[in-house]
Amino acid sequence: MLTAWGPGSHTGSSLEQNADTDRTAENIPIGKNRSVKILVFIPAWNEADSIGSVIEDARQHVPGAQVLVIDDGSGDNTAARARQAGAQVATLPFNQGVGAAHQTGYIYAMANGYELCGQIDGDGQHPAAELARLLAEVESGRADLVVGSRFAGDTTYNAPWARRTGQRLFSWIVSTATRQTLTDTTSGMRALNRRAMSLFATRYSSEFAEVESLQQAVRAGLTVKEIHVDMLPREQGTSFITPLKSAFYLFKTLTVLLVGQMRPRTKLPYEGDQ
Amino acid sequence: MTWLLAATEPVVRLTPQARIVAAILAVLFMLLILDLIRRDRLLERYSIVWFVMGLAMLAGAAFPGLLELIAKLIGVRDVTIALFSIVLMILLALSLNFSVIASRQSKQITRLAQQSAIETIEDPPEDD
Repeated sequence: MLTAWGPGSHTGSSLEQNADTDRTAENIPIGKNRSVKILVFIPAWNEADSIGSVIEDARQHVPGAQVLVIDDGSGDNTAARARQAGAQVATLPFNQGVGAAHQTGYIYAMANGYELCGQIDGDGQHPAAELARLLAEVESGRADLVVGSRFAGDTTYNAPWARRTGQRLFSWIVSTATRQTLTDTTSGMRALNRRAMSLFATRYSSEFAEVESLQQAVRAGLTVKEIHVDMLPREQGTSFITPLKSAFYLFKTLTVLLVGQMRPRTKLPYEGDQ
Repeated sequence: MTWLLAATEPVVRLTPQARIVAAILAVLFMLLILDLIRRDRLLERYSIVWFVMGLAMLAGAAFPGLLELIAKLIGVRDVTIALFSIVLMILLALSLNFSVIASRQSKQITRLAQQSAIETIEDPPEDD
């Protein structure tokens, strides 16, 4: 019996039958247990050009999952394109920044009983096939939070020199702060279980989402793991590039991490059933 | 301890003229606050602190001895400097307080936006 659809699992037998015939033949790459409820969410801000293919990719490679696009107050027709591509859409009334968008996904997943939750960026740089590997790793119970890293192990990812150096510096700082080797601290490709979701649904940094949440997870006693993934150059949009901006960003992040180290450790809101 | 206080006898004091101007301004200020509350432009909980500020201004103008005492305590010989320092400190504390309030409200707005975003999710699409 397939119950991978979230709130939709009760919407009628025709859908379920449909889904059954669609999927039983398919080799679902993640997990032995096919009744695991999985949410794949995609935070997107003005990604109308790439969102469609990202959703198709996700639906193809994580077939049991519900795909949810979190539209962070886009000015273009990201939401319409996402619906066309067969995803559900949560629309934030105004742009709130990547952290708030991520957290919307965690809150939704937590409230609707999803056991696993994966996230990829809406700009098309994260292949969903790699996300399936991340989800499988979380499902196996070896980690609470798995991050897809461009730099772990050998890599063919070709980033500009300055950017790579920045990433290394970041990695060193975060690794020091968390006493754990984390190479790709700004990666937006992650998979997590309910323990990690519950933590992020309660408190999540708005501006330094990826970096600070790693620190938060480690300090809360979660097992964080990195897996090497191949990423593509982004289809749309640009990252911060100017040296001055990067330097300022680095400074801000350092401050945030320093303060983060001084924060009281919180008890996990959800400890799991084990 | 006396050697600590020896040089701090106030030498520059508020003139009667300055005190009158200050008193008038304080009264006008408090009237403005009252009017803002009356017209629902200012919540009572934020108005109290401003009203107390107005009262303090009035007290400072009416009893110059208060300011001189403060100047003596913080070791300033010029009462006007003491006045500026105190006002600066109070404004600093107030603006920090407003930043805290703004942060809290921004968090609340985010939470609301997230809840409303989750409400916008429609039923799962038909699988093709």
